Parts: sequence; C-alpha cells; structure tokens
Amino acid sequence: MMGGASSRRGLWLDPRTKILLLLFCILSAMMAPSLFYELGLVVLIGLLGVCFGKWKYAWKGVLFYALIVLLTLWIMDTMTGTWRTMFIAFLGLFHKVYPCGMLSGIVLSTTKVSEFLSAMNRIHAPKKLVIPLAVMLRYVPTIQEDWRFIKDAMRMRDVSPSPKGLLTHPAMTVECIYVPLMMAASKAADELSIASITRGIENPKPRTCLVQIHIGPADLLAGICFAAYLAVGLYWKGVFG
Amino acid sequence: MIELKHVSFAYQGQEHDGLHDINLTIADGECVLFCGRSGCGKTTITRLVNGLIPQFYAGELTGSVLVDGQEISKLPMYQIAAKVGSVFQNPRTQFFNVDTDSEIAFGIENETRPPVELAERVEQATDDLHIRPLRNRNIFELSGGEKQKIAFASVYAMNPEIYLLDEPSSNLDMTSIQELKGHLRLLQKQGKTILIAEHRLYYLMGLADRIVYLEQGRIEKIFTPEEFRGLPRETRERMGLRAADLAEVRPPQVHPPVSSPVLELRDVTLRYKKRTVLHRISLAAAKGEVIGVVGHNGAGKTTFSRALCGLHKDCEGQFLWDGQAMERKNRLKRSYMVMQDVNYELFAESVEAECSFGIRNPDLTLAASTLEELGLAPYRERHPNTLSGGQKQRVAVAVSMICGKDLLVFDEPTSGLDFDSMTQVAGLIRRLSELGKVIFIVTHDFEFVCRTCSRVLHFDEGEMPGDIPVVMDALPKLRELFSVKVNGSEGDREGGLGHSDGKER
Repeated sequence: MMGGASSRRGLWLDPRTKILLLLFCILSAMMAPSLFYELGLVVLIGLLGVCFGKWKYAWKGVLFYALIVLLTLWIMDTMTGTWRTMFIAFLGLFHKVYPCGMLSGIVLSTTKVSEFLSAMNRIHAPKKLVIPLAVMLRYVPTIQEDWRFIKDAMRMRDVSPSPKGLLTHPAMTVECIYVPLMMAASKAADELSIASITRGIENPKPRTCLVQIHIGPADLLAGICFAAYLAVGLYWKGVFG
Repeated sequence: MIELKHVSFAYQGQEHDGLHDINLTIADGECVLFCGRSGCGKTTITRLVNGLIPQFYAGELTGSVLVDGQEISKLPMYQIAAKVGSVFQNPRTQFFNVDTDSEIAFGIENETRPPVELAERVEQATDDLHIRPLRNRNIFELSGGEKQKIAFASVYAMNPEIYLLDEPSSNLDMTSIQELKGHLRLLQKQGKTILIAEHRLYYLMGLADRIVYLEQGRIEKIFTPEEFRGLPRETRERMGLRAADLAEVRPPQVHPPVSSPVLELRDVTLRYKKRTVLHRISLAAAKGEVIGVVGHNGAGKTTFSRALCGLHKDCEGQFLWDGQAMERKNRLKRSYMVMQDVNYELFAESVEAECSFGIRNPDLTLAASTLEELGLAPYRERHPNTLSGGQKQRVAVAVSMICGKDLLVFDEPTSGLDFDSMTQVAGLIRRLSELGKVIFIVTHDFEFVCRTCSRVLHFDEGEMPGDIPVVMDALPKLRELFSVKVNGSEGDREGGLGHSDGKER
C-alpha cells in the first residue's frame, strides 16, 4: 500500500527536501558523464529507499537498472548499423528518465497529502498549482484499487491482463485498461475536488497542519549527499575546469 | 435558517435533475429529509445549499438561496464550508489524505486553526463519534462504512451549523446505517440543522421532522413523519419510494421447489493474504436458485464471490458442476460477476460492440435477441457510458448471457437505486432465474432480498453459521440477520450482525 500511517517507521524527510532531491536527481541524470555514473545515481536512490524502509522497491529498482546497463553495454559492444542507432536512441532516453522515475516513486509513496500541502504553503507556492498536485498525489493509490477491479473484469471477458496479453492482443488489452480507468478517473477527480472544496481547501490564508513539518539533520544529510553526487558528476565532466 | 426563494435550476446540457420554482424555509435545528425518484432533484437541492451550485456545477440559476440571511452564491466556497458541512455518497472518493488522522483534521487545517486546537478537536471528534479504533490508520485499508465515518468525523471536527448528507447510506451495511443514525441523533441533540437526500427511508423515520417529496424538480408534497408512515403501500410505491418501515417488508409464503443441485461446494476454505477468511464451507445450489449472501464488512463475502468466479487463487476444497470438479479456469469460463461499480467491466464504444467484445466468432443473432430481451435494443448505438446505472447493469448482464455464463454473482446490485430501479433489477434477476442460471447476490438490502432471493447465506467470523430460506416461517431469523426492528415494543433497539453497540444513549 502507498503512504499510510504506518510508513513512518523509517526515515522521515521534509517534503521540501524531497523536491530538492528530485531537482538534484534530474540535473545529475541530465548531465551524467557516463553510464556508471548513472548506475551510481540509481544505487544512491536505492539507498535512500532503504532508509525509508522500502527494501523491496529499492532492491528491485537497482537490480532492474543493472540489467539494463548490462544490455546497453552488450549492444554497444556487438551491434552495428540501424539497430544500434535505434537501441542507443531509445536507451539513451531510458537512462535519463529512469533515476527520476524511481525517486519519484519513493517520494510519492512516502509523502502524506497534508504534509505536502503545508510544505507548499511554507514556500508560498500558488494554490492554483498546489491543489491539482495534491489531487494527483492522492490519486495514485486510487489507481491501484481501480486496477484490481479492472483486472478481474478483464479475466471474466477472457482477456489476459498480463504482459503476454499485451503482446498478443495489444489494441484490445490497452482498450480494456484505458477505457474503464479513464471513466473511473474523471468521476474520481470530480468527487475528490468536491470533497476538498466543501471542506474549505480554497481558503487563501496559510493552512495549518496537525503534523508539524520541520527541516532536521536527516534533511541536511540527504541534501548534501545528492548535491555532492551532482558536484562529482560536474567535476568529472570538467565543468569546473 | 435556510431560505430557498423561487429557485429554479437547470444543469448545462442536461434535462433531468433540474429544479422548478422551489420555495422552502428550514428553521435552525430542523431535520429535513428529501426523497423522490432518481433525477427528481433532491441532490440538486443539497448542492444549492453547500454552494456547489453555481460554483462547481454550471447551469442556469434563478431565485435566491439564503443561509442565515446571506446569499450563498455570493460567498466563497471556503466561507460556506465553515457554515455547511457535506457528506457524500461514495466513501472511496471522499477522503483527501491517506491516513485517518490527517483526514479528520483536513477541514480544520483549512480553517487555519492553531496546531494545539487541531489536536483537541480531533480528539473531541474521536470521542464523540466513538472512532478510537480507526485513528492513525491507512484509509485505503478501511471498509466503506469506516471510510464514511472518517468523512463524517472530518466534517464534525469543523463543527458547522448545517449538515448536508447526500445518499449517505448507499454503500453502507445495516450495522453502519445504525451507527450513522446514532451520529445523526447526536447532531440533533446539539441543535444542528440536518438536510438529507436519501432513497433508503426507514432509518430516518425517527429523526426527520419533515419529509419533502420531490417529483420532476418540483416539491410535490411535504409530509410529517406520521403522515408519511400512514401512506398505504401502493401509494408509496406509486411515488417510487422505498419502504418507510422494514417491519412491513415480508418474504413470500413459499418458493417453488427446486430441482436437483447442479453446483456443489465441498469443504471450501479461502484465504486472503495468508489469513483464513472462510473455513470449510459446504453448500449446494440448483439451477434457477437465487441466493443472497450477507454478513458485515470483512466477513468474506467479496473473497467468496471472487472464488466462485475463479478470480481468487488461494482456495482449498472442491467446486463441482453437475458432479464434475471445476478448476479455477473452468469456473472463470462458467461464471460472471456484475460488479457494484459496473463501469469497470464496460470496455467498448457502443452497446452493440460491447456484446461481441473479446469473443472470437461472436454470435450476432444471439447478441441481438439478448439485447431485445433485456430491453436494450433502442440503445444499441449508444456509448455505454451515456446510459443510466440500471441500464449499464443490464448491458453487463447481456454480456454474461451472450458469453453463455451459467453462474452469475451480483455485488450490491441495488446500492443507490430508487424503488422503480430496484423492482426492475428484481425483474431482471427473476428472468435470469427462469433461464436456469445459478445466481448469487451479495447485498445488505432487506427489501430486495425479500423480493428476489430464495435463501440467504450468512457469513460471520470465517464461518457460515446460516443458510436460511427466505419464507414467512423464517421471518424472525431474517429480521435478526438484517437487524430489522419491529415496531415500538422493542424500543429503539440497535444492533444486528454481531456488531451491536448501543451508543449515544
């Protein structure tokens, strides 16, 4: 399950720190000087995940990325011509996006909506931006729930909700996931918005919060780690001359 | 005080659900129940009072809606929120946080109260509403009734003068409805004004001061509870309303005898996440039987239905069809579940396409005759999403018939339906029974069970302590099962399904 009250066993970081980490991660991935630097970044994110108590997620994420790195090395080594160009182009994009996606997953699953709202208040982010983001944060676990129902419905119609089904009947499988998910999403978005505005989320005064957020030593440490890693990458690339 | 003066409203691009020249004054501390058929405009009235009209739903509005002398449409939403608290129908999309504590505090956080007061108010709401066990939990792991309680607590913590409830019981079991009733009584004691739009009326009879009956957007009549209870059954049903007193609802004298059983379960044990949900269940069912499945939330009804349909993996024991063992794959082929939210199982762009979706070499004549049979032929070209809830349900049933499924499971087919739609669903199920299908219905709806089911299975604490025929002789047992109380002699007894707690008295 995502989030949840019981997930405060591990490390706790201020949502502002998390956004900063995401920023560092994006920059590091963008100007990564080598494949191994990116692997290091993913390992660093994995370590952060472990600190949050998300062992399985971190382990799987790093392992999967390591396999992709091996695949890339093999392609660079053996392939030539059009295939090589195609794969390199695709994998190039993949390597840039993967670390950010992995970190976002950790951030989304460990941030409470109320923490996020009050953090955004502290940095005086405009409400017009914050409310849709908060709805999105809330919506992620809803998709998980929807997906369970949709899987059942597909099975009863003899459409397999597995990667194999996607390969053998791509159009139908996509339709089966996409149509009900869209229907559920548009309804849920409306109802969530109503639930929040009828409880006064649009109040222009800065919101208070039951859970007090504050920047502590852990935030500093995590920030320094990611900033240092970015600096190493920049040095490697010779930005500092 | 709430005043509606010559209010008319029409939703943009929509004919039904509008209102015409509504005049109504509601005094402080009054409890008013709005009822009528689906689309009569009862929900629209609540939206006028909490400001969602015109601020969220666009349309043509004339007349004025005043709360304590202030024009609602001129106030910003967050100021209305402090006066008027709203609880809605769907527990799944009413909460904004993932953990319960933050959710209870959500409204008062928006009111920017200081942190010390936040904690105090959350504690107060927890004690008043008896929800201590729900504190500090992940909301996604709660049942529908528990989610609804958290939504209610969040509004309660804001302490508004007016409470609006829009079909709050649609997704609740009998026990949760009794608890909701207790909470409403608490509000009444505190002198709050309560407005409720509802289909299920029986639980509000002791609470409502006035009952407003709407028809096609007009206030047709305003009853006192005494007048309303005195309505003959035929009149009430002609008005499209559900029973006002469940004690008057009765099962039939006898059911026609059933043929020999075709489906058999032998010593079936079901587990969910390594926990035993149901232990060694055995039962047999014949063709044409309609079997109700009841039990409070978490008793294993969902796991049972999913196992019947071959969707649940972790089960032991035997499922037999005509004496032949059915593996999971066979069950999946033979059965179909009509989900509570039927939108999840409609995939195609038209009703006709839906009927042949996913079927290799579809039988088009069978599809056409099935649509005819279920009264869906006129909607052949329509997108399933443009149909009403009841029609969507029929499309799902049509699909099951075309796929030749013999075993059907309905999950809460009547949640949020008015009397007319409920009788239509009952008719549909009778037709399916005549066609020789074996039908299971997971439901909390006593009225519906009495109309359709031949017997009910009762699940509790991992066992199946009851397999009760729905006939007059078994009436006391059935009433106990659905916690139906009979007239004043037993006082205002609350309870049923093993979870009775006499709160707030």
